[in-house]
Amino acid sequence: MTRFLLLFCGVLGGLFAIEMLKPVQEAVIQPFTGILATISTALILPFDDTVIAQGRILRDATTGFAVSIEAGCNGVEAAIVLIAGIVAFPATIQNKVIAIVAGFFFVQALNIVRIISLFYLGQWNYAVFEWFHLYLWPVLIMLDVLIVFAIYLQWLGKQHPKAEAV
Amino acid sequence: MLMRRQFVLTLILIPIAFGIWYAAGTLFSAPAVWISDFLLSKAYPNIIEAAGLRGAEMVVRTQFGESEGQIMAAAAAGNQIALEINTRLVSYSIAFYAALLMASNLKDGVFKFCIGLFWLWIIMAFGLASIVGKELLLLAGKPFLSAPGVPPADIIALTYQFNVLLMPTLAPVCLWFWQLRGSPLWEALAEDIKRASSTGASLPR
Repeated sequence: MTRFLLLFCGVLGGLFAIEMLKPVQEAVIQPFTGILATISTALILPFDDTVIAQGRILRDATTGFAVSIEAGCNGVEAAIVLIAGIVAFPATIQNKVIAIVAGFFFVQALNIVRIISLFYLGQWNYAVFEWFHLYLWPVLIMLDVLIVFAIYLQWLGKQHPKAEAV
Repeated sequence: MLMRRQFVLTLILIPIAFGIWYAAGTLFSAPAVWISDFLLSKAYPNIIEAAGLRGAEMVVRTQFGESEGQIMAAAAAGNQIALEINTRLVSYSIAFYAALLMASNLKDGVFKFCIGLFWLWIIMAFGLASIVGKELLLLAGKPFLSAPGVPPADIIALTYQFNVLLMPTLAPVCLWFWQLRGSPLWEALAEDIKRASSTGASLPR
């Protein structure tokens, strides 16, 4: 447990510091955030053709309402928590890589739902948008991280069910 | 099964916990504001005069003033800049923590909630202090950074990210996990962890 906690905190702090570096922001985080906006637009377009993506901004061409996906809104911080948990927990490298890729996908999938929901909530009612943006969605994203990590532990256990008797 | 029950119940309880948290207004924020006021006014008396509550906002009276668009010492400017900070940006961690804890139906749940609340108030105080740091960095810039004891801008940005964007959701999970020990859910989780960690047992520790 102590080993897990130390490794978790170390990896979390390290990845957080790396994420904040200017070259990493410019080369990885900002383009990635732009991709999130593009994917969100691509998912909305079949149902609503008034939406356009401009870099990290998602805009409604008719109402002019726009949301900008900023640091803290791109799901990277939540993914970092998940990665730190996976790296800190003893498992084979192969299992860790699979879990990180799948976990990142699940966190980002929910994050895209979050971005799209906020885009429409903002056009409907700004107070509700603020509530979901600032308080509810961060909690739901962290709950998603917790669920993914719990599923990962169960998946690891199922891979070697007989190990319990060892 | 217990884990699934935990997550479903948490999702059901989140709206209730958030409703109570919002209705309680300043009740859940006040102790964190007092701690933050104590920390900031003691550590940076030349930057912060005092901090207090006004509704759900923390009002911070700074030692800076503004004259002809320039930020300077309040005494020289003849006025004082005050910051208004939304305490709910960090206090929603209490609602999340309450939902997690209530869903686990632990023994001595109320006592555990009080212990958790105490830790959350301390974490929230650091979150509020980080917001003050970020606001002053954006508002005052150089005069703030050149004041004694103020960390570099990168550290202020990092602590803001960590204490405001991450800790309000991570801290409740850590506290809840710590307080789970001895519960049926913990036993089930420990079983999962035991089986799962045995798959990586061959790895050097």
